[in-house]
Amino acid sequence: MLTDDGHRGNENPKRETVGASMTEVVHDSLRCGIEYGVVALPNRHVVSFQFRFLSGTGSEPVERLGLAHVVEDTLDKGTAKRSAQELSDAFDAIGAGRNGGTGRETTTFTCTVLPENFEQAVALHAEFLRTPTFPADAVDVCLDLANQEIEALDDDPAGLVDKYISRKVYGPLLGRHTLGEPETLERIERADVERFWREHFRAGRMMATVAGPLPPKQVADVLEKYFDGFGSAKRDGRNEFPIEFSPTTTHYEKDLQQEQIGICWPGLPATHAEFPTQQAVLGILSGGMSGRLFTEVREKRGLVYWVGAWQETPRGAGMIFLGASTTPERCDQTYSTLLREVDRLAEDIEQAELDRAITGILAQQDTRGDTTRSRCSELASDLFFYGRPVSFEEKTAKLRAVTVDKIRAYLRDVPRDRRCVVTLGPRALSESRGTTGHEQPLHTTHA
Amino acid sequence: MSNRYTQHTLSNGLRIVIETMPDVRSAAAGFMVNTGARDEVRDAAGVSHFLEHMMFKGTGKRTWRDITVDFDRMGSSYNAFTSEDRTVYYGWVPTADIEKQMELLADMMRSTLPTEEFEMERKVILEEIAMSKDNLDHVAFDFLQERLFEGHPLAWPVLGYDETVASMKRDVMWEYFQARYAPDNLILVVAGNVDAARVIATAESLCGSWKASGTKDRRMPPKLRTGAVSLQVEQFKQQVVALTFPSVSARDPVVETVSAMSTILGGDNSRFFWNIVQKGLATRAGTYHMDYDDFGVMILYATCQPENCEVVLDGMRTEAKRMGKDGVQEHEVQRVKNKRRTGLAVESEAPYHRLTQLMDDMQTHGAPRTVEQMLAEVDAVSIRSVGEYLEKYPLTGEGFLTSVGPRRWPS
Repeated sequence: MLTDDGHRGNENPKRETVGASMTEVVHDSLRCGIEYGVVALPNRHVVSFQFRFLSGTGSEPVERLGLAHVVEDTLDKGTAKRSAQELSDAFDAIGAGRNGGTGRETTTFTCTVLPENFEQAVALHAEFLRTPTFPADAVDVCLDLANQEIEALDDDPAGLVDKYISRKVYGPLLGRHTLGEPETLERIERADVERFWREHFRAGRMMATVAGPLPPKQVADVLEKYFDGFGSAKRDGRNEFPIEFSPTTTHYEKDLQQEQIGICWPGLPATHAEFPTQQAVLGILSGGMSGRLFTEVREKRGLVYWVGAWQETPRGAGMIFLGASTTPERCDQTYSTLLREVDRLAEDIEQAELDRAITGILAQQDTRGDTTRSRCSELASDLFFYGRPVSFEEKTAKLRAVTVDKIRAYLRDVPRDRRCVVTLGPRALSESRGTTGHEQPLHTTHA
Repeated sequence: MSNRYTQHTLSNGLRIVIETMPDVRSAAAGFMVNTGARDEVRDAAGVSHFLEHMMFKGTGKRTWRDITVDFDRMGSSYNAFTSEDRTVYYGWVPTADIEKQMELLADMMRSTLPTEEFEMERKVILEEIAMSKDNLDHVAFDFLQERLFEGHPLAWPVLGYDETVASMKRDVMWEYFQARYAPDNLILVVAGNVDAARVIATAESLCGSWKASGTKDRRMPPKLRTGAVSLQVEQFKQQVVALTFPSVSARDPVVETVSAMSTILGGDNSRFFWNIVQKGLATRAGTYHMDYDDFGVMILYATCQPENCEVVLDGMRTEAKRMGKDGVQEHEVQRVKNKRRTGLAVESEAPYHRLTQLMDDMQTHGAPRTVEQMLAEVDAVSIRSVGEYLEKYPLTGEGFLTSVGPRRWPS
């Protein structure tokens, strides 16, 4: 039996320093309650940081879906001191490259600046996170644009499949779409936006990670200076959301050149002892052009241009996805080949392909690891999933411990017969004919 | 030239450019072929892109399977792409594997274009074309190029047409390959924690025996059109509206000025963003300087609901006119410069990003540009230089209007 040995849910992190590949990594809590991590990279020319709030679409009131995105989008549209444009100008004045995003469980703000502008970038983030004014006209525009973006999603077949399959895979809470639905957006008012912000944007729900050529003590001082007293320090938002997986096959009719295929089944969460095995399985299936899916579906049969396998890991769960798009008359063959290739892995996996998959994952520590942004993002994921920084050495050792036998055990113990399948396009799969778009769990309009 | 950069040319004409990055743990290598869709004839539209796929299909010593396995054995982040004026193959690996990466890429450059793989790859490309037809941006961009450059090779889509790909002959591709993939039409770029002398020695041993072809470019700039055209595609819900004006080529010394002007008009914190997107008129509005070695155009574009086409077009024209009349502000120029500085610092971290920048530099200037040179060009941007550019290349004339989406507009 596979068991969970995760370290997630570290409620009160202790100060700890991890020596990893000649870099210093600090993980601690500020007096105000913010959990933070710093990876000191002395030779870098930029600093990257991420502020993650433990609140996303899963925390929205059911009648106001889309609210988390509206909050994220309007937080910087005016502060006690500056208008939206003045704030953007202030960020540009220090050359900040920044981004915001709303996810199922979290809302994140990322920023990259030259080291000398780090403090000012933190100060500006603190300003809009702590003193937003949510101007009524900005909220109205955001709602209007969200409605337009919902319509625009109709022109994005892969995005539509993601929306449809997510609600079946995750259920009514985590399966929500970031943009919400037209009827729920209609109910959102400025007061809802402010209420959601007050409840969710505070120190106890915030995780800060920083990477770059700054001493960790200096980073902590800057964070403390600008976030001291940022709402309640009570640790919140660290529990898993309930997931309702619906093993169904559904076709959505749409006039397209290609049929989009999405397949999903439950896998293992990021904290599971056998998670590295799952990573290796995905590497073998889809890690490079020698991966099984690319080889069998594209190179040997010419069925697709695009094919892939990936995972999503909300806290406490793991979902395995397969995806491809092909012209309608080839969708049945593409679908059966995708599933067959996963099953076949248990029968004839070779040591060489496992070695390649592991090498591929580890090589990215050197390639993508050369960018400061990627180091920041990796530390942020470690804190979110494991409640602590995880050294390269530890990750490497766990991956290197994956064997062919472990892969076979994984494929035996993680069932794939309860799966969720969504197709979008002009033709249903043979096995799903008669199930066209009959489910509407979240008030959707059909494609 | 800083000793960070090394240039060398082999006797067969293959140019080599190396950037040494002592602080990183990885290295990237790539071949840039000076060929793309604009070098094709109409009946073989798509041959450059089809060929790019075939380059992964086999060499004198490797099957297609060997090629992909060898890439993945190194843990390489690799790929290839084809554009209108270049075709690029690259791999990004931990430093220790850079010579193996160079050897694999060099071997691919001498592909045998195996006949037995030709039909299978044709199917893959026809799927890629089908996929592109479901993508509004792709359809809109292809339509813009087709009409703006009518009668010129730039009018043909990089992927080719269903019929030209379906009827493509291997012999035609082979002839094109022999002419265009000769060493005097290739540039090898390597960036990362590498020893330049060793890279050159490796390149000499791998590529020194290749024969030059003496291929000459016959590229001519297109004649730009004015007017308005639309493509009605009922499958889509949104409309893409684009307005195109003449601009400078990638080689023009004012290109940083054009970039700054374009960012102020249509970048993240731009006039389009505040006066079009944040007015709820369009989900997206921006500018794009499409620049080649011999000419350039400035495209103002937006994605909106079909009923908003008129008001969005009016918004873009109003902002363009206002900029032409009143120019830009000092603080706008300054903030664009600041963002560019951060961007250059970010780019300088990763060998892959440096590789692509070096390829741009080589294609456009024939030599790598140091960060200091680029910063000097950024510093030279001013209110005045933007004003002078807009006087020479105004965004206020008729332009060339294209519209793609469910609405037949303008009729």
